[in-house]
Amino acid sequence: MARTLAMFTDTSLCIGCRACEVACKQWNQLEAETPHWTGSYQTSPHFTDKTWRHVKFIEKKDERNEPKWLLMSDVCKHCNQAGCLEACPTGAIYRTPFGTVDISQDICNGCRYCVSACPFGVVAFNHGTGRVNKCTFCVDRTSEGMKTACAKTCPTDSIEFGYRDELAAKAKKRLAELHAKGVKEAILYGEDENGPLGGLNAFFLLLDKPEVYGLPAEPTLPQKPIVKDAGLSAGAAILVGLGAIVAFRERGGGDRGGEE
Amino acid sequence: MVRAPEWGMYIIWYFFLGGIAGGAYFMAAIADNFGGRRDREVAKVGYFIAFPLVMICGVLLILDLGMSSRFLNMVKILKFWNPMSLGAWAVGVFGAFSFACALLSLGVSEERLALRRNVAKVGSWFGFFLAAYTGVLLSNTAQPIWRDARLMGALFLASGASTGLASIALISYFKGANLGESWSKLKKADTFAMVVELALLVALVLMLGPSANPIIKGSFALPFWGGLVVLGLVVPLGLSFVKPGDGKERTAGGTMAIASVLILIGGFLLRYVVIMAGQL
Repeated sequence: MARTLAMFTDTSLCIGCRACEVACKQWNQLEAETPHWTGSYQTSPHFTDKTWRHVKFIEKKDERNEPKWLLMSDVCKHCNQAGCLEACPTGAIYRTPFGTVDISQDICNGCRYCVSACPFGVVAFNHGTGRVNKCTFCVDRTSEGMKTACAKTCPTDSIEFGYRDELAAKAKKRLAELHAKGVKEAILYGEDENGPLGGLNAFFLLLDKPEVYGLPAEPTLPQKPIVKDAGLSAGAAILVGLGAIVAFRERGGGDRGGEE
Repeated sequence: MVRAPEWGMYIIWYFFLGGIAGGAYFMAAIADNFGGRRDREVAKVGYFIAFPLVMICGVLLILDLGMSSRFLNMVKILKFWNPMSLGAWAVGVFGAFSFACALLSLGVSEERLALRRNVAKVGSWFGFFLAAYTGVLLSNTAQPIWRDARLMGALFLASGASTGLASIALISYFKGANLGESWSKLKKADTFAMVVELALLVALVLMLGPSANPIIKGSFALPFWGGLVVLGLVVPLGLSFVKPGDGKERTAGGTMAIASVLILIGGFLLRYVVIMAGQL
Protein backbone atom coordinates (compact mmCIF):
# COMPACT_ATOMS: atom_id res chain seq x y z
CA MET A 1 0.00 0.00 0.00
CA ALA A 2 1.24 3.38 -1.00
CA ARG A 3 1.44 6.18 1.52
CA THR A 4 -2.02 7.56 2.26
CA LEU A 5 -2.89 10.64 0.24
CA ALA A 6 -5.04 13.43 1.59
CA MET A 7 -6.44 16.87 1.00
CA PHE A 8 -6.36 19.59 3.63
CA THR A 9 -8.91 22.36 3.10
CA ASP A 10 -8.07 25.41 5.21
CA THR A 11 -11.29 27.42 5.19
CA SER A 12 -9.53 30.44 6.71
CA LEU A 13 -7.81 30.93 3.35
CA CYS A 14 -10.87 30.37 1.13
CA ILE A 15 -12.03 33.42 -0.85
CA GLY A 16 -15.11 31.74 -2.34
CA CYS A 17 -13.96 32.01 -5.97
CA ARG A 18 -15.30 28.54 -6.81
CA ALA A 19 -12.35 27.79 -9.11
CA CYS A 20 -12.19 24.35 -7.42
CA GLU A 21 -15.77 23.60 -8.47
CA VAL A 22 -14.98 24.57 -12.05
CA ALA A 23 -11.66 22.71 -12.20
CA CYS A 24 -13.39 19.60 -10.83
CA LYS A 25 -16.13 19.83 -13.44
CA GLN A 26 -13.61 20.38 -16.26
CA TRP A 27 -11.29 17.53 -15.34
CA ASN A 28 -14.07 15.07 -14.59
CA GLN A 29 -16.23 16.27 -17.52
CA LEU A 30 -19.24 17.02 -15.33
CA GLU A 31 -22.12 19.02 -16.76
CA ALA A 32 -22.95 22.51 -15.59
CA GLU A 33 -26.11 22.83 -13.53
CA THR A 34 -28.72 25.55 -13.21
CA PRO A 35 -27.98 27.58 -10.05
CA HIS A 36 -30.53 27.59 -7.24
CA TRP A 37 -31.36 30.57 -5.05
CA THR A 38 -30.19 29.45 -1.63
CA GLY A 39 -30.43 32.76 0.18
CA SER A 40 -26.74 33.56 -0.28
CA TYR A 41 -24.06 33.56 -2.97
CA GLN A 42 -23.99 29.77 -2.73
CA THR A 43 -25.24 28.37 -6.04
CA SER A 44 -26.63 25.01 -4.94
CA PRO A 45 -27.79 23.67 -1.58
CA HIS A 46 -25.51 20.64 -1.56
CA PHE A 47 -23.38 18.26 -3.57
CA THR A 48 -25.02 16.65 -6.58
CA ASP A 49 -24.05 13.80 -8.86
CA LYS A 50 -22.43 16.47 -11.07
CA THR A 51 -20.95 18.74 -8.39
CA TRP A 52 -18.24 16.98 -6.40
CA ARG A 53 -16.55 20.06 -4.96
CA HIS A 54 -19.09 22.38 -3.39
CA VAL A 55 -18.35 25.84 -2.03
CA LYS A 56 -20.53 26.86 0.90
CA PHE A 57 -21.23 30.52 1.70
CA ILE A 58 -22.48 30.85 5.25
CA GLU A 59 -23.60 34.29 6.36
CA LYS A 60 -23.03 35.23 9.99
CA LYS A 61 -23.01 38.34 12.14
CA ASP A 62 -19.70 39.22 13.79
CA GLU A 63 -19.30 40.74 17.27
CA ARG A 64 -20.03 44.27 15.90
CA ASN A 65 -23.21 42.87 14.30
CA GLU A 66 -21.67 43.30 10.84
CA PRO A 67 -22.31 40.54 8.31
CA LYS A 68 -19.37 38.22 7.67
CA TRP A 69 -18.81 35.15 5.54
CA LEU A 70 -17.81 31.68 6.47
CA LEU A 71 -16.56 30.03 3.30
CA MET A 72 -15.86 26.37 2.87
CA SER A 73 -15.02 24.23 -0.12
CA ASP A 74 -16.58 20.92 0.81
CA VAL A 75 -15.73 17.56 -0.75
CA CYS A 76 -16.04 13.80 -0.18
CA LYS A 77 -14.15 13.04 3.05
CA HIS A 78 -12.69 9.69 1.87
CA CYS A 79 -13.33 8.38 5.41
CA ASN A 80 -11.00 5.77 6.86
CA GLN A 81 -14.18 4.00 8.03
CA ALA A 82 -16.49 4.71 5.12
CA GLY A 83 -20.24 4.11 5.47
CA CYS A 84 -20.72 4.00 1.67
CA LEU A 85 -18.02 1.38 1.24
CA GLU A 86 -19.45 -0.82 4.01
CA ALA A 87 -22.96 -0.47 2.55
CA CYS A 88 -22.09 -1.34 -1.05
CA PRO A 89 -23.41 -4.86 -1.78
CA THR A 90 -21.65 -5.26 -5.13
CA GLY A 91 -18.09 -4.30 -4.22
CA ALA A 92 -18.28 -1.35 -6.63
CA ILE A 93 -17.10 0.98 -3.84
CA TYR A 94 -13.53 0.18 -2.91
CA ARG A 95 -10.50 1.51 -1.07
CA THR A 96 -7.75 2.60 -3.46
CA PRO A 97 -4.07 1.86 -2.75
CA PHE A 98 -3.79 5.54 -1.77
CA GLY A 99 -6.27 5.08 1.08
CA THR A 100 -9.06 6.99 -0.67
CA VAL A 101 -12.54 5.69 -1.57
CA ASP A 102 -13.63 5.26 -5.17
CA ILE A 103 -16.67 3.89 -7.07
CA SER A 104 -16.21 1.55 -10.00
CA GLN A 105 -18.78 2.62 -12.60
CA ASP A 106 -18.38 -0.78 -14.27
CA ILE A 107 -19.77 -2.63 -11.24
CA CYS A 108 -22.27 -0.26 -9.57
CA ASN A 109 -25.86 -1.34 -10.25
CA GLY A 110 -27.58 1.67 -8.74
CA CYS A 111 -29.11 0.19 -5.56
CA ARG A 112 -28.42 3.49 -3.73
CA TYR A 113 -27.73 1.90 -0.33
CA CYS A 114 -24.45 3.89 -0.21
CA VAL A 115 -26.41 7.13 -0.67
CA SER A 116 -28.36 6.38 2.52
CA ALA A 117 -25.20 5.38 4.40
CA CYS A 118 -23.02 8.47 3.89
CA PRO A 119 -23.05 10.61 7.07
CA PHE A 120 -22.20 13.66 4.94
CA GLY A 121 -24.68 13.22 2.08
CA VAL A 122 -21.89 13.06 -0.49
CA VAL A 123 -22.69 10.06 -2.69
CA ALA A 124 -25.37 10.97 -5.24
CA PHE A 125 -27.45 8.99 -7.71
CA ASN A 126 -27.17 9.92 -11.38
CA HIS A 127 -30.57 9.38 -13.01
CA GLY A 128 -28.95 9.47 -16.45
CA THR A 129 -26.49 6.63 -15.97
CA GLY A 130 -28.42 4.77 -13.25
CA ARG A 131 -25.30 4.69 -11.10
CA VAL A 132 -23.91 6.66 -8.17
CA ASN A 133 -21.15 9.24 -8.30
CA LYS A 134 -18.88 11.19 -6.04
CA CYS A 135 -15.38 12.70 -5.89
CA THR A 136 -12.83 10.16 -7.17
CA PHE A 137 -9.90 11.97 -5.54
CA CYS A 138 -8.91 12.47 -9.20
CA VAL A 139 -7.64 8.91 -9.24
CA ASP A 140 -6.71 9.35 -12.90
CA ARG A 141 -4.41 12.28 -11.96
CA THR A 142 -3.07 11.13 -8.59
CA SER A 143 -2.06 7.72 -9.96
CA GLU A 144 0.11 9.64 -12.45
CA GLY A 145 1.75 11.70 -9.71
CA MET A 146 -0.39 14.80 -10.26
CA LYS A 147 -2.39 16.79 -7.71
CA THR A 148 -6.17 16.66 -7.63
CA ALA A 149 -7.70 19.21 -10.02
CA CYS A 150 -9.22 21.30 -7.21
CA ALA A 151 -5.97 21.51 -5.23
CA LYS A 152 -4.01 22.32 -8.39
CA THR A 153 -6.28 25.22 -9.25
CA CYS A 154 -6.89 26.75 -5.81
CA PRO A 155 -5.36 30.25 -6.04
CA THR A 156 -4.94 30.75 -2.27
CA ASP A 157 -3.75 27.25 -1.38
CA SER A 158 -6.85 26.86 0.75
CA ILE A 159 -6.96 23.35 -0.72
CA GLU A 160 -3.71 21.45 -0.33
CA PHE A 161 -2.89 18.01 -1.64
CA GLY A 162 -0.22 15.66 -0.34
CA TYR A 163 0.67 12.78 1.95
CA ARG A 164 -1.66 12.51 4.92
CA ASP A 165 0.99 12.54 7.64
CA GLU A 166 2.69 15.65 6.21
CA LEU A 167 -0.61 17.50 5.73
CA ALA A 168 -1.79 16.61 9.23
CA ALA A 169 1.39 18.09 10.70
CA LYS A 170 0.89 21.19 8.56
CA ALA A 171 -2.73 21.50 9.70
CA LYS A 172 -1.75 21.33 13.36
CA LYS A 173 0.90 23.99 12.82
CA ARG A 174 -1.60 26.25 11.07
CA LEU A 175 -4.12 25.73 13.89
CA ALA A 176 -1.52 26.71 16.52
CA GLU A 177 -0.62 29.76 14.43
CA LEU A 178 -4.28 30.89 14.27
CA HIS A 179 -4.83 30.25 17.98
CA ALA A 180 -1.70 32.35 18.74
CA LYS A 181 -3.16 35.18 16.63
CA GLY A 182 -6.35 35.09 18.70
CA VAL A 183 -8.55 33.11 16.32
CA LYS A 184 -9.66 30.88 19.18
CA GLU A 185 -12.66 29.43 17.33
CA ALA A 186 -10.49 27.65 14.75
CA ILE A 187 -10.70 23.84 14.91
CA LEU A 188 -9.51 20.91 12.85
CA TYR A 189 -12.19 18.58 11.49
CA GLY A 190 -11.32 14.99 10.57
CA GLU A 191 -7.56 15.30 10.96
CA ASP A 192 -7.32 12.97 13.97
CA GLU A 193 -6.95 9.31 12.93
CA ASN A 194 -8.14 8.28 16.39
CA GLY A 195 -11.22 10.49 16.02
CA PRO A 196 -14.60 9.81 14.39
CA LEU A 197 -14.58 7.42 11.40
CA GLY A 198 -10.89 6.70 11.95
CA GLY A 199 -10.07 10.12 10.55
CA LEU A 200 -11.02 11.69 7.23
CA ASN A 201 -8.59 11.73 4.33
CA ALA A 202 -10.06 15.04 3.23
CA PHE A 203 -9.91 17.07 6.43
CA PHE A 204 -10.61 20.70 7.21
CA LEU A 205 -9.70 23.71 9.29
CA LEU A 206 -12.99 25.38 10.28
CA LEU A 207 -13.65 28.78 11.84
CA ASP A 208 -16.78 27.73 13.72
CA LYS A 209 -18.53 24.64 15.04
CA PRO A 210 -18.98 21.85 12.45
CA GLU A 211 -22.79 22.18 12.67
CA VAL A 212 -22.57 25.76 11.39
CA TYR A 213 -21.06 24.34 8.20
CA GLY A 214 -23.74 21.65 7.98
CA LEU A 215 -21.30 18.95 9.13
CA PRO A 216 -22.12 16.41 11.87
CA ALA A 217 -20.17 17.15 15.08
CA GLU A 218 -19.53 13.46 15.75
CA PRO A 219 -20.07 11.47 12.55
CA THR A 220 -20.42 7.75 13.22
CA LEU A 221 -20.26 4.68 11.04
CA PRO A 222 -23.94 3.82 10.32
CA GLN A 223 -23.19 0.08 10.42
CA LYS A 224 -21.94 0.19 14.01
CA PRO A 225 -25.18 -0.99 15.70
CA ILE A 226 -25.70 -3.95 13.34
CA VAL A 227 -25.05 -6.67 15.94
CA LYS A 228 -27.40 -5.02 18.42
CA ASP A 229 -30.13 -4.52 15.81
CA ALA A 230 -29.79 -8.08 14.53
CA GLY A 231 -29.86 -9.39 18.10
CA LEU A 232 -33.07 -7.53 18.89
CA SER A 233 -34.61 -8.91 15.69
CA ALA A 234 -33.60 -12.44 16.68
CA GLY A 235 -35.17 -11.85 20.10
CA ALA A 236 -38.44 -10.82 18.45
CA ALA A 237 -38.24 -13.89 16.19
CA ILE A 238 -37.86 -16.20 19.18
CA LEU A 239 -40.75 -14.51 21.01
CA VAL A 240 -43.16 -14.55 18.06
CA GLY A 241 -42.05 -18.08 17.13
CA LEU A 242 -42.62 -19.44 20.62
CA GLY A 243 -46.04 -17.78 20.71
CA ALA A 244 -46.96 -19.52 17.46
CA ILE A 245 -45.61 -22.87 18.69
CA VAL A 246 -47.80 -22.61 21.79
CA ALA A 247 -50.80 -21.67 19.61
CA PHE A 248 -50.36 -24.52 17.11
CA ARG A 249 -49.19 -27.25 19.49
CA GLU A 250 -51.53 -30.18 19.76
CA ARG A 251 -52.57 -30.96 23.29
CA GLY A 252 -52.93 -34.61 24.31
CA GLY A 253 -51.33 -36.02 21.17
CA GLY A 254 -54.62 -36.84 19.38
CA ASP A 255 -54.25 -36.79 15.61
CA ARG A 256 -50.65 -35.64 15.50
CA GLY A 257 -49.20 -37.54 12.59
CA GLY A 258 -45.71 -38.02 11.15
CA GLU A 259 -43.21 -37.00 13.79
CA GLU A 260 -39.86 -35.34 13.36
CA MET B 1 -26.85 17.05 5.82
CA VAL B 2 -27.61 13.59 4.56
CA ARG B 3 -29.06 12.51 1.25
CA ALA B 4 -32.11 10.28 0.78
CA PRO B 5 -31.61 7.16 -1.36
CA GLU B 6 -34.82 7.88 -3.30
CA TRP B 7 -36.43 4.57 -2.42
CA GLY B 8 -40.04 4.57 -3.54
CA MET B 9 -42.98 2.25 -4.22
CA TYR B 10 -40.89 -0.70 -5.47
CA ILE B 11 -39.07 -0.84 -2.15
CA ILE B 12 -42.21 -0.23 -0.07
CA TRP B 13 -43.98 -3.10 -1.84
CA TYR B 14 -40.90 -5.27 -1.53
CA PHE B 15 -40.63 -4.68 2.22
CA PHE B 16 -44.35 -5.41 2.60
CA LEU B 17 -44.49 -8.54 0.42
CA GLY B 18 -41.13 -9.82 1.66
CA GLY B 19 -42.46 -9.59 5.22
CA ILE B 20 -45.58 -11.54 4.27
CA ALA B 21 -43.58 -14.18 2.39
CA GLY B 22 -41.17 -14.69 5.29
CA GLY B 23 -43.91 -14.57 7.92
CA ALA B 24 -46.32 -16.89 6.08
CA TYR B 25 -43.49 -19.37 5.53
CA PHE B 26 -42.17 -19.58 9.08
CA MET B 27 -45.68 -19.69 10.48
CA ALA B 28 -46.46 -22.49 8.01
CA ALA B 29 -43.32 -24.29 9.14
CA ILE B 30 -44.41 -24.01 12.78
CA ALA B 31 -47.96 -25.20 11.98
CA ASP B 32 -46.48 -28.06 9.94
CA ASN B 33 -44.03 -29.20 12.62
CA PHE B 34 -45.92 -28.53 15.82
CA GLY B 35 -49.56 -28.70 14.76
CA GLY B 36 -51.91 -31.53 13.97
CA ARG B 37 -53.36 -33.01 10.81
CA ARG B 38 -55.67 -30.09 10.07
CA ASP B 39 -52.86 -27.60 10.53
CA ARG B 40 -51.19 -29.11 7.49
CA GLU B 41 -53.77 -27.26 5.42
CA VAL B 42 -52.69 -24.04 7.09
CA ALA B 43 -49.07 -24.89 6.32
CA LYS B 44 -49.87 -25.66 2.68
CA VAL B 45 -51.57 -22.29 2.21
CA GLY B 46 -48.54 -20.60 3.81
CA TYR B 47 -46.10 -22.25 1.41
CA PHE B 48 -48.31 -21.41 -1.56
CA ILE B 49 -48.28 -17.76 -0.45
CA ALA B 50 -44.54 -17.56 0.20
CA PHE B 51 -43.30 -18.90 -3.13
CA PRO B 52 -45.10 -16.56 -5.59
CA LEU B 53 -44.55 -13.56 -3.31
CA VAL B 54 -40.81 -14.07 -3.06
CA MET B 55 -40.69 -14.30 -6.87
CA ILE B 56 -42.48 -10.94 -7.07
CA CYS B 57 -40.03 -9.61 -4.48
CA GLY B 58 -37.09 -10.49 -6.71
CA VAL B 59 -38.69 -8.68 -9.65
CA LEU B 60 -39.40 -5.57 -7.54
CA LEU B 61 -35.80 -5.44 -6.35
CA ILE B 62 -34.46 -5.77 -9.87
CA LEU B 63 -36.81 -3.07 -11.18
CA ASP B 64 -35.68 -0.67 -8.46
CA LEU B 65 -32.03 -0.80 -9.49
CA GLY B 66 -30.59 2.06 -11.51
CA MET B 67 -29.10 -0.60 -13.79
CA SER B 68 -31.44 -3.57 -13.63
CA SER B 69 -29.31 -5.57 -16.08
CA ARG B 70 -26.59 -5.70 -13.42
CA PHE B 71 -28.73 -7.31 -10.71
CA LEU B 72 -26.44 -10.34 -10.59
CA ASN B 73 -23.65 -8.10 -9.28
CA MET B 74 -25.46 -8.36 -5.94
CA VAL B 75 -24.61 -12.04 -5.63
CA LYS B 76 -21.09 -12.02 -7.03
CA ILE B 77 -19.80 -11.24 -3.56
CA LEU B 78 -21.12 -11.82 -0.04
CA LYS B 79 -20.57 -9.28 2.72
CA PHE B 80 -21.76 -11.05 5.84
CA TRP B 81 -21.93 -7.79 7.82
CA ASN B 82 -24.02 -6.01 5.18
CA PRO B 83 -27.85 -6.32 5.37
CA MET B 84 -28.38 -5.63 1.68
CA SER B 85 -25.79 -8.15 0.55
CA LEU B 86 -27.17 -10.82 2.89
CA GLY B 87 -30.70 -9.86 1.87
CA ALA B 88 -30.03 -10.34 -1.83
CA TRP B 89 -28.65 -13.81 -1.11
CA ALA B 90 -31.50 -14.57 1.29
CA VAL B 91 -34.16 -13.77 -1.32
CA GLY B 92 -32.56 -16.37 -3.58
CA VAL B 93 -32.05 -19.04 -0.92
CA PHE B 94 -35.49 -18.46 0.60
CA GLY B 95 -36.96 -18.64 -2.90
CA ALA B 96 -35.49 -22.12 -3.30
CA PHE B 97 -36.87 -23.31 0.05
CA SER B 98 -40.33 -21.90 -0.58
CA PHE B 99 -40.35 -23.46 -4.05
CA ALA B 100 -39.42 -26.85 -2.57
CA CYS B 101 -42.15 -26.63 0.07
CA ALA B 102 -44.79 -25.50 -2.43
CA LEU B 103 -43.79 -28.38 -4.72
CA LEU B 104 -43.93 -30.92 -1.88
CA SER B 105 -47.39 -29.61 -0.93
CA LEU B 106 -48.76 -30.83 -4.26
CA GLY B 107 -48.59 -34.46 -3.21
CA VAL B 108 -50.44 -36.24 -0.41
CA SER B 109 -48.05 -39.03 0.48
CA GLU B 110 -46.73 -39.20 4.04
CA GLU B 111 -43.12 -39.27 2.82
CA ARG B 112 -43.57 -36.03 0.95
CA LEU B 113 -45.18 -34.36 3.94
CA ALA B 114 -42.37 -35.57 6.20
CA LEU B 115 -39.82 -34.22 3.74
CA ARG B 116 -41.74 -30.93 3.53
CA ARG B 117 -41.63 -30.57 7.31
CA ASN B 118 -37.88 -31.14 7.33
CA VAL B 119 -37.22 -28.71 4.48
CA ALA B 120 -39.34 -26.11 6.29
CA LYS B 121 -37.32 -26.54 9.48
CA VAL B 122 -34.28 -25.17 7.67
CA GLY B 123 -36.13 -22.76 5.39
CA SER B 124 -37.95 -21.07 8.25
CA TRP B 125 -34.67 -19.50 9.42
CA PHE B 126 -34.43 -17.75 6.08
CA GLY B 127 -38.08 -16.75 6.47
CA PHE B 128 -37.31 -15.10 9.79
CA PHE B 129 -34.35 -13.39 8.17
CA LEU B 130 -36.35 -12.11 5.20
CA ALA B 131 -39.02 -10.64 7.46
CA ALA B 132 -36.57 -8.86 9.76
CA TYR B 133 -33.50 -7.81 7.77
CA THR B 134 -35.25 -4.99 5.92
CA GLY B 135 -35.67 -3.19 9.24
CA VAL B 136 -32.00 -3.69 10.12
CA LEU B 137 -31.10 -2.47 6.62
CA LEU B 138 -32.86 0.81 7.39
CA SER B 139 -31.48 1.16 10.92
CA ASN B 140 -27.91 0.86 9.59
CA THR B 141 -28.01 4.00 7.47
CA ALA B 142 -27.23 7.66 8.18
CA GLN B 143 -30.84 8.82 7.60
CA PRO B 144 -32.75 10.57 10.38
CA ILE B 145 -35.36 8.35 12.12
CA TRP B 146 -33.97 5.15 10.58
CA ARG B 147 -30.52 5.46 12.15
CA ASP B 148 -31.96 5.72 15.69
CA ALA B 149 -34.53 2.95 15.23
CA ARG B 150 -32.83 0.10 17.05
CA LEU B 151 -36.10 -1.89 17.12
CA MET B 152 -36.95 -1.55 13.42
CA GLY B 153 -35.86 -5.11 12.54
CA ALA B 154 -37.79 -6.55 15.49
CA LEU B 155 -40.87 -4.51 14.55
CA PHE B 156 -40.74 -5.62 10.91
CA LEU B 157 -40.40 -9.22 12.04
CA ALA B 158 -43.50 -9.03 14.24
CA SER B 159 -45.36 -7.28 11.41
CA GLY B 160 -44.19 -9.96 8.95
CA ALA B 161 -45.51 -12.63 11.29
CA SER B 162 -48.92 -11.02 11.68
CA THR B 163 -49.32 -10.09 8.00
CA GLY B 164 -48.15 -13.60 7.03
CA LEU B 165 -50.79 -15.19 9.27
CA ALA B 166 -53.39 -12.70 8.02
CA SER B 167 -52.70 -13.73 4.40
CA ILE B 168 -53.03 -17.40 5.34
CA ALA B 169 -56.35 -16.71 7.10
CA LEU B 170 -57.68 -14.59 4.24
CA ILE B 171 -56.85 -17.09 1.52
CA SER B 172 -58.15 -19.99 3.59
CA TYR B 173 -61.40 -18.10 4.08
CA PHE B 174 -61.89 -17.41 0.38
CA LYS B 175 -60.97 -21.00 -0.48
CA GLY B 176 -63.74 -22.05 1.89
CA ALA B 177 -61.23 -24.35 3.55
CA ASN B 178 -62.59 -26.42 6.39
CA LEU B 179 -60.00 -25.51 8.97
CA GLY B 180 -62.05 -26.34 12.04
CA GLU B 181 -60.09 -25.60 15.17
CA SER B 182 -57.17 -24.34 13.09
CA TRP B 183 -59.04 -21.04 12.89
CA SER B 184 -58.65 -20.48 16.60
CA LYS B 185 -54.98 -21.49 16.42
CA LEU B 186 -54.35 -19.03 13.60
CA LYS B 187 -56.18 -16.37 15.57
CA LYS B 188 -54.24 -17.09 18.73
CA ALA B 189 -50.86 -16.93 16.96
CA ASP B 190 -51.85 -13.74 15.13
CA THR B 191 -53.16 -12.04 18.26
CA PHE B 192 -49.89 -12.76 20.00
CA ALA B 193 -47.85 -11.43 17.05
CA MET B 194 -49.96 -8.26 17.02
CA VAL B 195 -49.52 -7.70 20.76
CA VAL B 196 -45.75 -8.02 20.29
CA GLU B 197 -45.90 -5.70 17.28
CA LEU B 198 -47.89 -3.07 19.16
CA ALA B 199 -45.52 -3.25 22.14
CA LEU B 200 -42.50 -2.89 19.84
CA LEU B 201 -44.11 0.02 18.02
CA VAL B 202 -44.76 1.86 21.29
CA ALA B 203 -41.21 1.13 22.48
CA LEU B 204 -39.74 2.29 19.16
CA VAL B 205 -41.62 5.59 19.16
CA LEU B 206 -40.69 6.23 22.81
CA MET B 207 -37.03 5.41 22.13
CA LEU B 208 -36.96 7.70 19.10
CA GLY B 209 -38.29 10.59 21.17
CA PRO B 210 -38.41 13.86 19.22
CA SER B 211 -36.83 12.28 16.14
CA ALA B 212 -40.10 10.34 15.66
CA ASN B 213 -41.92 13.61 14.95
CA PRO B 214 -41.96 13.28 11.13
CA ILE B 215 -43.84 9.99 11.62
CA ILE B 216 -46.23 10.83 14.44
CA LYS B 217 -46.93 14.45 13.47
CA GLY B 218 -47.47 16.21 10.17
CA SER B 219 -48.54 14.65 6.89
CA PHE B 220 -47.82 11.06 7.98
CA ALA B 221 -49.79 11.33 11.21
CA LEU B 222 -53.04 10.14 9.61
CA PRO B 223 -51.68 6.97 7.96
CA PHE B 224 -49.64 6.27 11.10
CA TRP B 225 -52.24 6.79 13.84
CA GLY B 226 -55.42 6.20 11.87
CA GLY B 227 -54.17 3.55 9.45
CA LEU B 228 -51.46 1.58 11.21
CA VAL B 229 -52.24 1.97 14.91
CA VAL B 230 -56.05 2.07 14.95
CA LEU B 231 -57.20 0.21 11.81
CA GLY B 232 -54.18 -2.07 11.49
CA LEU B 233 -53.57 -3.05 15.11
CA VAL B 234 -56.17 -1.90 17.65
CA VAL B 235 -59.29 -2.87 15.68
CA PRO B 236 -58.01 -6.34 14.63
CA LEU B 237 -56.88 -6.94 18.22
CA GLY B 238 -60.38 -5.99 19.39
CA LEU B 239 -61.93 -8.33 16.79
CA SER B 240 -59.77 -11.18 18.01
CA PHE B 241 -61.64 -11.07 21.32
CA VAL B 242 -65.02 -11.51 19.64
CA LYS B 243 -66.14 -14.97 20.73
CA PRO B 244 -68.02 -16.99 18.11
CA GLY B 245 -70.93 -19.11 19.25
CA ASP B 246 -70.79 -22.92 19.08
CA GLY B 247 -70.66 -24.32 15.57
CA LYS B 248 -70.25 -20.86 14.08
CA GLU B 249 -66.81 -21.54 12.64
CA ARG B 250 -67.72 -19.91 9.35
CA THR B 251 -68.62 -16.69 11.19
CA ALA B 252 -65.38 -16.93 13.12
CA GLY B 253 -63.56 -17.20 9.80
CA GLY B 254 -65.47 -14.18 8.50
CA THR B 255 -64.46 -12.05 11.47
CA MET B 256 -60.89 -13.18 11.02
CA ALA B 257 -61.03 -12.36 7.30
CA ILE B 258 -62.10 -8.80 8.08
CA ALA B 259 -59.37 -8.50 10.71
CA SER B 260 -56.87 -9.90 8.20
CA VAL B 261 -57.66 -7.26 5.59
CA LEU B 262 -57.09 -4.57 8.22
CA ILE B 263 -53.82 -6.19 9.36
CA LEU B 264 -52.57 -6.22 5.78
CA ILE B 265 -53.47 -2.56 5.29
CA GLY B 266 -51.62 -1.76 8.53
CA GLY B 267 -48.58 -3.77 7.46
CA PHE B 268 -48.38 -1.87 4.18
CA LEU B 269 -48.79 1.51 5.89
CA LEU B 270 -46.01 0.66 8.36
CA ARG B 271 -43.53 0.27 5.49
CA TYR B 272 -44.95 3.23 3.61
CA VAL B 273 -44.75 5.65 6.54
CA VAL B 274 -41.29 4.49 7.67
CA ILE B 275 -39.73 4.65 4.20
CA MET B 276 -41.33 7.93 3.14
CA ALA B 277 -40.95 9.82 6.44
CA GLY B 278 -37.32 8.72 6.71
CA GLN B 279 -36.51 10.42 3.42
CA LEU B 280 -38.16 13.81 3.98
